[in-house]
Amino acid sequence: MRRTRTAAALAVAAAASLGLAACGGGGSGSNSASSSNTSSGSAATGFNAGVGQVFNPSTAKGGTLKMAISDDWDSLDPGDTYYGFAWDFARFYGRSLTTFNAAPGKEGVKLVPDLAQSLGQPSDGGKTWTYKLRPGLKYEDGTPIKAADVKYAVARSLDKEVLPDGPTYFNDYLDLQGYKGPYKAKDKGAGLKAIETPDDQTIVFHLKKAFAGFDYFAQLPSTMPVPAAKDTGTNYKSHVLSSGPYMFKTVQPGKQYTLVRNPNWDASTDTVRKALPDEIDVQLKQNQDDIDNRLLAGQLDVDVTGSGVAAQTQGKILADPKLKANSDNPIGIRDWYLSVNPDVAPLDNLACRQAVEYATNKASIQRAYGGNTGGAIATNMLPPTVPGAQQFNTYPPGPDNTGDLQKAKDALSKCGQPNGFSTTMAFRSDRPKEVATAEAEQQALARVGIKLSLKGFPSGDYYTLYAGKPDYAKANNLGISTNGWGADWPDGFGFLSQITDSRTIRPGGGNYNLSVKDPAVDALIDKATSAKDLTSSQQAWTDVDKKVMDGAYVVPTVWAKGLYYRPPTLTNVYFNPAFGMYDYVSLGVKQ
Amino acid sequence: MVTYVIRRLITAVLLLLLITAVVFAIFFLVPRLAGATPDSLATRYVGRAAGPQQIHEVAVRLGLTDPIYVQYGRFVKGLVAGTTYFTGTEDVSCPAPCLGYSFITQNPVLPDILDRLPVTISLALGAAILWLVGGVSAGVISALRRGSIIDRGVMAIALAGVSLPIFFTGLLSLSIFSYGLGWFPGGGTYVPFQVNPAEWAYHLILPWVTLAFLYAATYARLTRAGMLETMHEDYVRTARAKGLPERTVVRRHVMRATMTPIVTIFGLDLGLLLGGAILTESTFSLPGIGKYTVDAVQANDLPKVLGVTLVASIFIILANLIVDIVYAVIDPRVTL
Amino acid sequence: MTAPVEEFGSGFEAQPEAVLEGVGTPIAGRSLGQIAWMRLKRDKVAIAGGLFVIFLILVAVFAPLIVDLLGHPPNEFHESLVDPDLQTPVGKFGGASREFLFGIEPVNGRDLFSRIVYGSRISLLIAFLATGLSVIIGVTMGVTAAFFGGWVDSFIGRLMDIFLAFPLLVFAIALAGVIPNSAFGLSGDGLKIGVLVFIIGFFSWPYIGRIIRGQALSLREREFIDAARSLGAGSGYILRREMLPNLIAPILVYSTLLIPTNILFEAALAFLGVGIQPPTPTWGGMLSAAAGWYQIDPWFMVPPGLAIFFTVLAFNLFGDGLRDALDPRTR
Repeated sequence: MRRTRTAAALAVAAAASLGLAACGGGGSGSNSASSSNTSSGSAATGFNAGVGQVFNPSTAKGGTLKMAISDDWDSLDPGDTYYGFAWDFARFYGRSLTTFNAAPGKEGVKLVPDLAQSLGQPSDGGKTWTYKLRPGLKYEDGTPIKAADVKYAVARSLDKEVLPDGPTYFNDYLDLQGYKGPYKAKDKGAGLKAIETPDDQTIVFHLKKAFAGFDYFAQLPSTMPVPAAKDTGTNYKSHVLSSGPYMFKTVQPGKQYTLVRNPNWDASTDTVRKALPDEIDVQLKQNQDDIDNRLLAGQLDVDVTGSGVAAQTQGKILADPKLKANSDNPIGIRDWYLSVNPDVAPLDNLACRQAVEYATNKASIQRAYGGNTGGAIATNMLPPTVPGAQQFNTYPPGPDNTGDLQKAKDALSKCGQPNGFSTTMAFRSDRPKEVATAEAEQQALARVGIKLSLKGFPSGDYYTLYAGKPDYAKANNLGISTNGWGADWPDGFGFLSQITDSRTIRPGGGNYNLSVKDPAVDALIDKATSAKDLTSSQQAWTDVDKKVMDGAYVVPTVWAKGLYYRPPTLTNVYFNPAFGMYDYVSLGVKQ
Repeated sequence: MVTYVIRRLITAVLLLLLITAVVFAIFFLVPRLAGATPDSLATRYVGRAAGPQQIHEVAVRLGLTDPIYVQYGRFVKGLVAGTTYFTGTEDVSCPAPCLGYSFITQNPVLPDILDRLPVTISLALGAAILWLVGGVSAGVISALRRGSIIDRGVMAIALAGVSLPIFFTGLLSLSIFSYGLGWFPGGGTYVPFQVNPAEWAYHLILPWVTLAFLYAATYARLTRAGMLETMHEDYVRTARAKGLPERTVVRRHVMRATMTPIVTIFGLDLGLLLGGAILTESTFSLPGIGKYTVDAVQANDLPKVLGVTLVASIFIILANLIVDIVYAVIDPRVTL
Repeated sequence: MTAPVEEFGSGFEAQPEAVLEGVGTPIAGRSLGQIAWMRLKRDKVAIAGGLFVIFLILVAVFAPLIVDLLGHPPNEFHESLVDPDLQTPVGKFGGASREFLFGIEPVNGRDLFSRIVYGSRISLLIAFLATGLSVIIGVTMGVTAAFFGGWVDSFIGRLMDIFLAFPLLVFAIALAGVIPNSAFGLSGDGLKIGVLVFIIGFFSWPYIGRIIRGQALSLREREFIDAARSLGAGSGYILRREMLPNLIAPILVYSTLLIPTNILFEAALAFLGVGIQPPTPTWGGMLSAAAGWYQIDPWFMVPPGLAIFFTVLAFNLFGDGLRDALDPRTR
């Protein structure tokens, strides 16, 4: 998953329009939500002016873009990062083969060529993909960008010991034939036969099996070129060689990053980036409340985390019409849900899991995430922003979404626990919303006799050592765990492949799929990944969604929305649904 | 005197080693108490694609499978003679004194700490001057006007000061003075002294005052109590009887006796604070070593925690030593 | 050092000079206790503090009864009373009313009054137990060091130095963060409380230890000790019957002054996120959560903030008064 750096005060607030759930299905939901609030095509001002259209469009260059974040990157190294914001930000200093269009609304989820001249050319039934690079591209030091550098970038990202954090799509899909990466093979990538570079401008990928969505892989930061001669392994992140409009001036992890213009970036080769500010300044490890307050006070331009303001700031903004006019409330591509672990008795029994589904008080949990502004109550896993997704409700939670206690009790009787049972619920203790969710769930399930004892864990190790480690979860009776997933990119594959496929579960830990272990689901996933065209793949993913819900392995609670504040100092601001936050490379600052 | 200092220095070094050993042991043992194994700890450093074999290899490479005394020995050797770490692609040399290498952020620890030290020092020293001057003055005034409204008022405020948690007053002052009234910049913005001294001070005023308020309250009470006690001593009465003006009596005799314990306590407090004003730095988002400590602990980054503990302990031990020496110099009753 | 942990001021000012020198001398006619009590009685402020402390203890002990009578169950949600968009309480003053004496929490509408009342249990329990632990260790060490002198004294002195050099807060955060689910026969809240008590108490003993050592040292030189010895009294007797009773006064005073420091310490740990698990209410945890709501629900901060403030204040006032009462010189 692209993790969102949801810091101590995560507030993913939802739009005031609940009509969102009704206007889901087909098309990008964010567009429909915004159009119900602003008249399309008018000069953009006011609430949601940054959703579906560009707010304060400008071509004026200059100024310093001031950004801050409550934590830090996992890594600036494009081959070693998995945060949504990091991928959005990486476009400042790197260009990948393809990338998402820098446009709001539906246009934003389209892929366009970046380093490449056009989108990939499939052959061999979709098992081979070819790209031709644009000529004349240079790094910040003037040296030319070659196809071999793209190959090397992908090759090095395969080594999960040296660069542990990046996505594993290339590991899973390239026909590696046992290649372990250039650090182990000590060959600067030469041994990777799965990628060929017949000349300096051409690069060819050979996959294990056909995959129609390869262009989505090609937009990953892992394809941002790295010259083998300049690679310093784990140290590369201290100065990533830039192929984008900006290059690093200072890199102080935990404190600050600054970027300045890259003189060797040629704007004429780049249809995506505007490169308006002269300098970009990011302060790290700031207090989240502080960041919000500084945004509102005009002392800061962007909260890099990109998940919206904290709950208390949300209230402040909504209560003040002036502030509200400067804010946006789009739906993102993120789910909050609960994983119900079939390894922990009595949740190994389907009916017991169904009891949890019926007894959960989704209205309470929606409050935990910020009420109507924080998220829409989720009925299934694929949110309406995913093109082609359908909404359905396998376990209707009653008319006011507080749960159907009668059905819950019936399910309990069916699984042999008519008076309820006890289990432990895991959550991330440094995330107030998950704390609130856990408390809400405890209250909700207590109504039918299910007693939850709550156990909080630090989010840093949540997936590696605790909830995401199957033995630990089982040994410690973690029957229910809070979970969240932001799609790597907005389609069924980007959303569900990593969280519902049982074959992604590794015994060593670090799993995001905490509970879906069903071969029937796996089979449906295979069907979806091998689908030949867009429509059949979208339908196939909905089938996966339905099967997962039938198994009651997860309780989807909230489709996240964010309340984002747009300081008046920003120009060219809009929400890009592909990243689930503002499009950073388009931003400019007023002088 | 010199022998005393040398003796204390040697003791200090031994103490330091002992402390690091204990800290090391505790941070080594506690995760294991919670059920961690070298392999499970190594999981944190590998990606999700790693298989059990890979994880184990990483555990060995990081030295997690070595017994505790070997790991500790490595740490001490690094301190004294420097050492190299293998990061997976290359060897990174960490010259003496090597405070450790964080595998999580892939950075040696000492440069990080040195980087953040100026922030903590700025915070501590600034606040220290404020509280010493403010607190002692308040205490003196209170003592001299004992029983009056001023006395009661000052002592009441002081009592309030020591009864309020600093994170509470810090957040309140941020909300009121920074975001409410806009008089001061918000948290998280530290301007180094060499860049712009005026800005440096401006950004630190709120943390200084908040921190100083807390200590000033304590020092006011201390000073007042000490003065009241000394003012009744025989030798003070003698001085008065000699016909010396009250001001001279106070200044030369009373203050001297009062200030001795105050100054020694001040040294100790400062030493503690230099080790990391954790709560203040967290509240105001200042990038000092206090905040660094909290971040490191929450990320379970043992090398960082060790390094910071070492530095903090050095300050404390040094402060203790200086205070003892100063005390010995000032107070003739104390024999070395 | 004025406080066991940096940034905790408190009434707990350790004065290197023996403040209570006069304490040891028995005065014919009235016992020490009687004199002290008389003087204490005249100190209205200290009495007020003492009464509040007693009141607080009663509240903590009878928490369930009080909540039954005057409030709602502490973990019960009342979401209808919270604005659905702003997540803040609908009523004025943070939702305070006859039903909800201190108002309600944002987001879930829990009764703040009940949570404060139950929170007093945690705060007082941890503070008292930790102080008790500190005092037991500290007095033992201090008296031993003073009484036996020589290398024993040096050794214990070095020990104190070591403990004082530990960055206490760091330790507490780290240790509190890795507690397993159950150990030593306890689990859940009980275990967490036990660990916190241990951490706070075990590392704070040098503060009392130093003072008691100072007191004991000066006592050791007194004539009555010599007298007892010349009458053939053994060490044990002297320790028990001569020194300890005369140390009761400083022990009492400094315990009373250590308690508020420990309350603040526990609050700080909760603020940094390593306190007791939710949904169990603690004052520090509530304050930490409330701080962020200051701008749109300032009342949320008030009950826990005032609770901590008044409790600490009361202990400080009472401790100050106790100290003044027991010392004939400072007034």
